[in-house]
Amino acid sequence: MSAVWVWVENRGGEIIAVGKEAIGAARMVADELGEDLVGIVFGHNVADIATAAFDLGCDEVIGCDDETLDKTRIEAVGPLLVGQIKEHEPAAFIIGGSTRGRDVAAWVAADLDLGVVTDAVSLEVDGDVVKATRPVYAGKLLATAFAKSSTQIVTLRSRAFPQAESTGNTGSADWIDAMVDEDDIPTKVVGFEGKGNTVSLTDASIIVSGGRGVGGPEGFGPVRELADVLGAAVGASRAAVDAGWIPYDHQVGQTGKTVSPDLYIANGISGAIQHQAGMRTSKIIVAINKDGEAPIFKLAHYGIVDDLFKVLPALTAEFKKRL
Amino acid sequence: MKVVVCTKQTPSTTAVFSVNNGAVSWEDSGGKPNVVNPWDEYAVEEAIRVKENHGASHAIALTMGAPDSQEALKTCLAMGCDEAILVSDPSFAGSDTLGTARILAAALEKIDGAKVVIFGKQAIDGDTGLTPVQVARKLGWTPVTYVSAIKEIKGHTITLERLLEDGKETVTTDLPVVISVVKEINEPRYPSFMGIRKANRATIPTWSATDLDVNGGVGAAASQADWSHVYSIPAREGSVEIIEGDSVEEKVAALVDKLFEEKVI
Repeated sequence: MSAVWVWVENRGGEIIAVGKEAIGAARMVADELGEDLVGIVFGHNVADIATAAFDLGCDEVIGCDDETLDKTRIEAVGPLLVGQIKEHEPAAFIIGGSTRGRDVAAWVAADLDLGVVTDAVSLEVDGDVVKATRPVYAGKLLATAFAKSSTQIVTLRSRAFPQAESTGNTGSADWIDAMVDEDDIPTKVVGFEGKGNTVSLTDASIIVSGGRGVGGPEGFGPVRELADVLGAAVGASRAAVDAGWIPYDHQVGQTGKTVSPDLYIANGISGAIQHQAGMRTSKIIVAINKDGEAPIFKLAHYGIVDDLFKVLPALTAEFKKRL
Repeated sequence: MKVVVCTKQTPSTTAVFSVNNGAVSWEDSGGKPNVVNPWDEYAVEEAIRVKENHGASHAIALTMGAPDSQEALKTCLAMGCDEAILVSDPSFAGSDTLGTARILAAALEKIDGAKVVIFGKQAIDGDTGLTPVQVARKLGWTPVTYVSAIKEIKGHTITLERLLEDGKETVTTDLPVVISVVKEINEPRYPSFMGIRKANRATIPTWSATDLDVNGGVGAAASQADWSHVYSIPAREGSVEIIEGDSVEEKVAALVDKLFEEKVI
């Protein structure tokens, strides 16, 4: 019998959201396969992370606490994981949808000749096989995908799975030694500039977005005011970004960010296929547009056909009253 | 020092897809159905800038794909790459990222003096983003992903800025490197008139399986990942509920009621 492993991505002394999502998804896979769930906790000063991994539902934890693992540098993490997977041969290894997580998946798969399914939005277990539904062709089509190798590696789309919740489980981790000395790691992290308190698009549970219909940079004023009241991130269509009304890091769509918030409010966005590719997995979509024929209304759950410059301030005022 | 940009030909961003009996096809009524992978345009631009600003002697574009991928390579030449190489063989068809990585690594080993290899962050067809790190592993080089700036190349050391979910990380590492770049890194140039003329006259060499010393399995049979079952996205069930009302205030109040009921606030 071989267990299901999960990458417990942690930063600043906490398991981050994609890590909790991965534990939740991996727990389901382990239960379906009738296997134990093993949390992989690598980092520096991560004793509390191991405790938290047990609490979130891991049956076992393999941990490594070492300064070289502090910034999740792939050259420190990769060889250690490769060695562990060789030794234990897990049935599956589930990794959250982050930049660092993808690097981990790619490295391990390259060294051990394993198959990877990236960007899963749902998972099911069919016999011994973990089958994932994943968007392909930039979200214009879907595929059922699986890895054919002995250890099946799956990365998840961020926010596609609910976060694991506290179970009250406890345990003691199996602590292993790091494999790579600092002197043997060519890559050095010499600076880091955090994003601060702004809500990032991919992590946001609510996104308020503006498109061509907002008419100019000042048109994002009412968009931001609504976002502030809701604690939401501000998104934009490519048309608004290309016009220079808002920086690129707000762009949602095929050549921007792919998002799956609980609530996506599209203001003055017609809903081109490239925009839809980036936000169609949102749980509830609201469209506000003067043009009742705009394609966005085919995707939206709720719509208001009216002038967004009247609707948005009214919506902001209404939420202020009720939140 | 040479810089190599690995690009891929993909469907255009405006392509419309259909699936018939599991076979995927696409067309683009407004333009070319196949283009240089949009994320790779930033990689091509950055390769040219490494030559212009960081002293590389050559910027070389490398593509693995079907023979018609020549078209994408011509775009790279027109933008300003000095050379283009197509890696193409029927036995390569159906390779997963790992097979692709083995083939590209074998091709890169044939290019003397390649020290910096640049990829776009992912391709808009498979969208895996795995290949850059896997090529680095096959070469034994250092991978650095999601690069938003090449700050400096000095001797054997390169300084890079990465764009991660939580912020910007600056790293230094040793050459040779394989990097993947994000859109924030630059503004790709348009091909010049002279560049297009040069590209149209260029003969692009094709390297086949016999030209390369590929280490390990390639093609569909060796693929460790299966995503052959592709289908159209089911239409959303139900249709939009347009919120009506006599005034904006009434509509807004009704919408807010609905959103509280949906428990998304």
